[in-house]
Amino acid sequence: MRKKKVTIGSVFRWAILLFFLVITIYPVIWMIFGSLKTTGDFYTNIWGIPDTFHISNYIEAWERGGLGRKYLNSILVTGLFLLIIIPVNCCAAYVLARVRFKGRKLIYMFLLVGMMIPAGILGMPTYSVALKLGLVDSVWGIAFVYAGQAVSFGVFLMRSFYVSLPQSLEDAAMIDGCNRFQSFVKVVLPLTKPGIMIQVVFSGLNTWNEYFLSSIMLRSEEAKTLPVGIMTFVGEYSTDFPQMFAALTAATMPLIIIYLLAQKQFIEGLTAGATKG
Amino acid sequence: MVRERQRNGKLVNKIFPYCMTAPAIILFVLFVIAPFIYGLYTSFFQWDGLSEMKYIGTQNYSFVFQDKNYWSALGNTFKYALVVTVLKNGLGLALALLIVKQVRGKGLFRTSLYMPVTFSYVVIGVLWTWIYNPTFGILNSFLTKVGLGSLIQGWLSDPNVALYSVAWVDIWKWIGFHMVLYLAGLQGVPNELYEAAEIDGAGKFQKFWSITLPQINGILVVNVLLAITGAFVNNYNLINVMTDGGPFGSTEVALTYIVRTAFDYRNVGKANAMSMILFAIVLVIGFLQFRVMTKEDNYE
Repeated sequence: MRKKKVTIGSVFRWAILLFFLVITIYPVIWMIFGSLKTTGDFYTNIWGIPDTFHISNYIEAWERGGLGRKYLNSILVTGLFLLIIIPVNCCAAYVLARVRFKGRKLIYMFLLVGMMIPAGILGMPTYSVALKLGLVDSVWGIAFVYAGQAVSFGVFLMRSFYVSLPQSLEDAAMIDGCNRFQSFVKVVLPLTKPGIMIQVVFSGLNTWNEYFLSSIMLRSEEAKTLPVGIMTFVGEYSTDFPQMFAALTAATMPLIIIYLLAQKQFIEGLTAGATKG
Repeated sequence: MVRERQRNGKLVNKIFPYCMTAPAIILFVLFVIAPFIYGLYTSFFQWDGLSEMKYIGTQNYSFVFQDKNYWSALGNTFKYALVVTVLKNGLGLALALLIVKQVRGKGLFRTSLYMPVTFSYVVIGVLWTWIYNPTFGILNSFLTKVGLGSLIQGWLSDPNVALYSVAWVDIWKWIGFHMVLYLAGLQGVPNELYEAAEIDGAGKFQKFWSITLPQINGILVVNVLLAITGAFVNNYNLINVMTDGGPFGSTEVALTYIVRTAFDYRNVGKANAMSMILFAIVLVIGFLQFRVMTKEDNYE
């Protein structure tokens, strides 16, 4: 009697889990299938595997959408953003955590205020300020804007790592003849790699996928990043569905592969990023 | 000589922390504080973003308060946030409870359900627009196949349904994320508590209500706050991609209306006034989140 009850329960449980698994994965598979179909095949064969693998969709979508340029821009923006934000946040967070100086608490509280101002609110005014500074429609400009808006979170996150390190480490380094900066770079920094990893994954992915601000700030084709470029492509070629799906797949596939290869870092980094900052 | 070097060293030590924090402060002031103050400032002007600004006092604010479209957009924002917060957490917690004791296949579920978190809103927005497509989309096709043809909707064209269709895509993206957070919380609940409750004859529901929920309270608060703030300020992406506020303004939310006012109606002053009002609303939530997250962080 009891055994049967358990079986019904577990069948029910598996059914629910399988349902969610399918509705999560199938849309992605459907996108990949769609990207390989001919236009005719796309209309008549909604669900199934493509008749023939129409790779040329990718070549055409890549050329028409200028996806190479958009990829390059996204890599430049994200790369530059990380190159700015990691040293800037680590330096600030380090002294705020470990050095006693006048105004320390004030500076820390001031920087934290940013966590209460969501980027959405800043969208419009940021555009106006960036326009004044000549940073609109520029890959470099938007990287700096993103960096400024990632300071609060990064400083808060990194500080929590520095605070937990024992003072004796630095004392030992200073006795060995390091100055403050050297002891920071040589001894403290390597110990907080997990914190840097969280910033790279969490802030890096946010920047890679950012759409709101970039759709306002990047107007010319030369400056557009992947999300904005994809949206333009969809608007212009919305009638050629397989090509549109090819563009979507081309933009997503590398991310899926990186995610599958480094899923542990991704899940840990994103989860810690969201709950800590 | 020695004394001079010492004095130099002291000076270096003195300015060292300020040099280290300066780049962060400069970036933060330029791209967070300045835009915020500039937005507040321009909200008192009549301004199209290009020509001369004209000071009009609080008139923009009274325009906003009389603007029915803004209030309906705010109403939609709240509706969207409510649906999204409840379902992200409800489904995330339910799935976490289902797989917490699972041994086989747990990794597969986690990896798969978490994957959409990494996708950009643009890609999933376009993808789901196609899933919802009345003729070639797989949703209606699926409903027909399993004999639920009566449930077929104009998912994105019916003003009564569209907002919820978009909200579902947001939920779909984040279920796995919340599930992983809840999973971590559930795994931290000591087993002895359940055993003790079983001895006392507690049922499944009772155990959930009086042990599980209080034990994961902290993670629950974090999850709910994350979902709320996400819903308020991230809804622009999906709505811009999927419906752009339509049909008949039924999916217009505060942020899409603000951007429209600034760029299409060229009324930057009023748009910034609306931003400030939205900020005042989310400030309450932001403050709560801030308190929760900095709680363990004791600053001496």
